[in-house]
Amino acid sequence: MPTCESNISVMAETINDELLVEQFSKGNESAFESIVELYSADVAALANRLLGWPSDVEDITQDVFLAAFLGLKKFRRDCSIKTWLFTITINKCRSYRHKWKLRKSRTIPIPKSFDQAQDGKSIGMRLSPAGAHSELMEEETFERVRDAIAALPAKYREAVVLRYLQELPTEEICRISGISKNTLQVRLSRARERLKLDLAELMEK
Amino acid sequence: MTEDNLKNLLQKADRTAGPPEPVSMKLSDIRRRANHRRILYFKVPVAAAAIILIAIGIRIVSIKTQPPDQQEKIASLEAQIKQLQVSTDAAVSLIHEVLEAEQRQNRLNELEVQLASIPDPLEEVQKQVDKTAFILIYQADRMYLELNQTESAVETYKRVIQLFPENQWAKVARERLAQIKENQSGKTDLKGDSKWKLQNV
Repeated sequence: MPTCESNISVMAETINDELLVEQFSKGNESAFESIVELYSADVAALANRLLGWPSDVEDITQDVFLAAFLGLKKFRRDCSIKTWLFTITINKCRSYRHKWKLRKSRTIPIPKSFDQAQDGKSIGMRLSPAGAHSELMEEETFERVRDAIAALPAKYREAVVLRYLQELPTEEICRISGISKNTLQVRLSRARERLKLDLAELMEK
Repeated sequence: MTEDNLKNLLQKADRTAGPPEPVSMKLSDIRRRANHRRILYFKVPVAAAAIILIAIGIRIVSIKTQPPDQQEKIASLEAQIKQLQVSTDAAVSLIHEVLEAEQRQNRLNELEVQLASIPDPLEEVQKQVDKTAFILIYQADRMYLELNQTESAVETYKRVIQLFPENQWAKVARERLAQIKENQSGKTDLKGDSKWKLQNV
């Protein structure tokens, strides 16, 4: 059940969005800077997840906001700016998938505990070999999970990312993806089945 | 594996990937890219059109600079085409004239048919005159034979003669008057005469 506070925050966000769009329509382009500041992190995070965590999403994020800049005056305000930006992001990612090669990072990231080595402390004194090994195993596990998500068909991956990682409500996902609730439920169900198959071995561990 | 477990696993995997690299965006960059896109959408078609026009121009120039024998052939072909064009134009104009003449004739025939259907006014007037004169003779006959109004009958016969002197019924009126006069003088009884039969309309 949405709380009173969340309703107020949603209303505040809606009013703020309308003000920004109104100002931009009147020629105040600095309003768009505010929109970029507010939503660039969310857009980048969504693009990062949809494209398989390439970490470098500057190009596509700029494309999203370029499209938003060109189309903001035609924005019909039938949804929030965030939802609208997410819709643009989804569409851009779909076209980017044809160009992008998903790179699978084979480099083992440095565990957090190793950061302290920069203070001069010996690495060997900080972690036992067993601890390092478990960290690496965990990283490999999560990398396989990310690979499994990236291997999903595009429409399933979009549903999984929007539902489980962005944690958006059903109505908003349907609006962003342009599908019905039933279609969304079917896609999520099939995505879960595939992920369970792909990750069954990990689950057993 | 429940949905919640799967969700937790996915979220952990997402967290371990870390956030994306920060994106630095300035309004000036976006504006510059937007202008660049607009210019691209305009300049590329213009450049393509310019290339096509240049290619066409080069082709035209190459045609004009062809060897003399080819130019003579082209000239003779052009002359033949012109002659054919002239003869074609003449034939087309002749066809147009024939069609126009036919249309005029058709129109003329239609007018003649319409004219024929219109009754001759002189004939109509003559018919009315005969009819009027006949009615007067009829009235005069009745007056004299049935009503014994000899004077009125005489007046009526005289009117017919006066109004329609050349008409056939004027001749009848004159005959009636002569017979009345003879009758009045007692020489003959004309009322029983078959000639005095009432003119049936």
